[in-house]
Amino acid sequence: MANKADLSIEYLGVKCENPFFLSSSPVAGSYDMVKKAFEAGWGGVFFKTVGIFIADECSPRFDNIAKESTPWIGFKNMEQISDKPLEDNLQAMYRLKRDYPDKVLVASIMGSSEEEWSELAKLVTETGADMIECNFSCPQMTSHAMGSDVGQNPDLVREYSKAVSSATDLPVIAKMTPNIGNMEEPAIAAIEGGAAGISAINTIKSITNIDLEFKTAMPVVNGKSSISGYSGAAVKPIGLRFIAQMKQHPLLKNIQMSGIGGIETWRDALEYILVGCHNVQVTTAVMQYGYRIVSDMISGLSYYMEEEGFEKVEDMVGLALPNIIPAEELQRNFKIIVDIDHDLCIGCGRCYISCFDAAHQAINWDFENRRPTINDECVGCHLCINVCPVLNCIRPAKIVWKEDWKITPEEINFKTRYE
Amino acid sequence: MIYSNICNQINMDRGEKRLSKVTAKNQLQGKEIKKGYLDEAVHGYNTRTAMEEAARCVLCYDAPCSKGCPADTKPADFIRSIRFRNFKGAAATIREANALGGCCAKVCPYDRLCEEACSRTGIDRPIQIGKLQAFAVDIEKKFNMKILEAKEATKEKVACIGAGPASLSCASRLAREGYQVTIFESFDKPGGMLTYGIILSRLPQDVVDFDIEKVKELGVKFVFNTKVGQDVTIDDLKEQGYKAFFIGTGLWKPRKIDIPGADLKGVRYAIEFLKEARSSKGEMKVDGNVIVIGGGNVAMDCAATAKLLGAERVTIVYRRTIEEAPADIAEIEYVQSLGISIITKYAPKEILEDDGKVAGLIAAGTDDFSELKLKADMIVFAIGQEAEDMRKIVPAIELNENGTISCDIAKGFTNIEGIFAAGDIVNGGKTVVEAVAQGKSVAESIMKYLSQKEGVN
Repeated sequence: MANKADLSIEYLGVKCENPFFLSSSPVAGSYDMVKKAFEAGWGGVFFKTVGIFIADECSPRFDNIAKESTPWIGFKNMEQISDKPLEDNLQAMYRLKRDYPDKVLVASIMGSSEEEWSELAKLVTETGADMIECNFSCPQMTSHAMGSDVGQNPDLVREYSKAVSSATDLPVIAKMTPNIGNMEEPAIAAIEGGAAGISAINTIKSITNIDLEFKTAMPVVNGKSSISGYSGAAVKPIGLRFIAQMKQHPLLKNIQMSGIGGIETWRDALEYILVGCHNVQVTTAVMQYGYRIVSDMISGLSYYMEEEGFEKVEDMVGLALPNIIPAEELQRNFKIIVDIDHDLCIGCGRCYISCFDAAHQAINWDFENRRPTINDECVGCHLCINVCPVLNCIRPAKIVWKEDWKITPEEINFKTRYE
Repeated sequence: MIYSNICNQINMDRGEKRLSKVTAKNQLQGKEIKKGYLDEAVHGYNTRTAMEEAARCVLCYDAPCSKGCPADTKPADFIRSIRFRNFKGAAATIREANALGGCCAKVCPYDRLCEEACSRTGIDRPIQIGKLQAFAVDIEKKFNMKILEAKEATKEKVACIGAGPASLSCASRLAREGYQVTIFESFDKPGGMLTYGIILSRLPQDVVDFDIEKVKELGVKFVFNTKVGQDVTIDDLKEQGYKAFFIGTGLWKPRKIDIPGADLKGVRYAIEFLKEARSSKGEMKVDGNVIVIGGGNVAMDCAATAKLLGAERVTIVYRRTIEEAPADIAEIEYVQSLGISIITKYAPKEILEDDGKVAGLIAAGTDDFSELKLKADMIVFAIGQEAEDMRKIVPAIELNENGTISCDIAKGFTNIEGIFAAGDIVNGGKTVVEAVAQGKSVAESIMKYLSQKEGVN
């Protein structure tokens, strides 16, 4: 894991040694925790949200979704903002910035009124924090004047963003809730209120599992439970979509974004960078594996940059955006027919089952030799590639032009191998 | 009872069985071995590890594993049930197809049957079908499931001779259809080879007892300590109203070879040796140097038994090569892990005597040149079993040269009307699962025979 490129990036005017940050959550809740995280290599931290409100937490407070035997595909938590006294948190932030001046410290705050937001902004500015993130999005607050109920209301977002940015000289970031159809609206409201950056996404309101014994959601708190925030690998697709849509909006395209949601590896982080993020935040994967995962993020991203010839992380920001286009603009005059490698094929017949039951009956099955073959019905949907358990056994092979389209010989780019 | 509590119970039961250091080391090598005579060699699945293994299954179309099971236990179906978290459904699939599903899960030669057929092998290694089967049977036991239901026993009386796998399977099938079935057994316990002829580390007695309990629940009656042809005759039974007879006696007479010293004290035969060890529940003492002759699973079981019960040095002498040995690779690896050496391509020539007792063995190399002289305090012959005299049961029955009953393996009709046979006594000694399969299919012949006969009358 020796490879270590220069991963530094300027985010909202602050130089960060790398784009990997802990998000404001249980993984960044004390001096000792953040100290350990910094020493493990994290570029910065969004300290656990502080408020005038002090949380009182339930027990237990977590649950996870498994598929077959893979746990933590998705994760639910019922924690709110910090349950420590405000003074202790301010003290911790001050000491962290004093002891780790080169690391980036973002103070996350949450108020329940303009006055509280303004007051908190002043207090955290005095700790020496580099930036302030406004938490408009925690979905499990016990007070409806706070959390995602605020983030769903663009007027409140604008008002509170203004209260905070008026009370500090530091860059202000608004953290968005995904519990909304169109994130651009509150994001624009935040920018109008004076925010410089946007973080997305906070957790998704969820019921992960219903307990069959107690007939309530999980986790079971004295026979009851509540709807609360969902995170982890399962939410990455939703996070990427919100970021991409914001970055493609004319009013937001130049706003720096911090991407959050399901990041476990350097690839996940890079995907957020490619849709336009200057910074990424991680919690769930750290809850499962610890701070040490950052070393593979640093090394893995360094190798990728070396392979692809990128010198700066900045150069990769948003590279995928021009290629994510509306469905109506996709070229539809060809199909890519697959080829099945009968030497690699193990004869399980999964492609045959899925093609028949869910696609176009385009695979014939040889019962005697247990081998599938593609027939003329193939539409190039590639469901078979998605279900095949053998690496690269079924591969995209040739372009067939649809007959009812005007044929214009041209170059078609298509992926020929998967991992 | 609450489902999750039961699963938790299963998981805790598994948790209690902490792995020994030796086991952990063997598990690293893909082998799962314990070193006590009463310990089961294989570490079972809990709900989580079973899900992990089931998730490895590629869920084939027209699954080869299911085709690979002689008893039609439908592994593809029960693995899919586990994968989709229907553990009870998995248990039902197994029990409905295979009256000895619990035992087969432990002793089947998977690597030659379903697992050999497994498509996953094309990627890395086969699904551990036997262990998943054992997991599902565990679920059946923990939930006290009543999967099989017998119709009211109003049909003809059928006598099954011998309480081994073939009879149990046949009796189960008949009882489910409403026949009044009685099993006559010469020993005092049911199970045949399952109870007497396999080492406990491979097949714990509670697994055997559970399968048999399921047969009893169907209304099958058992008469023990009764040898048909000796304590009671077929004619007596006919008088008592039995309309059909199923012979599933198995093979119990040890095959012997005529070499000097074969009658010395200290010469033992596999089945009676294993039976004594199992009956003693591990209390039987073995010491000194033990030589086992043979290359099948029974020979491996004898060697492991001798070693686990205290023998200082155990050596297996086999006349062919390891590749040719009928024993499962897993069993060969198991005895080797116990420090037992296997010497191949030597056949016994003479047993040496000291003071009327066994003192050693001279074996001749099959190359007609080499010769081996080994010290021995006990020599166990595990070179196969033969049929006892079946004419004592049915005087006019047609036999093969080797004394087994001559009949169609799948249908089980003998030359005498109303008398059927299956299992080792017909096939000359194969696996438990084949005996189960044959017992089941011969039950169909018996039902067909009895219903036609009823029509004639």
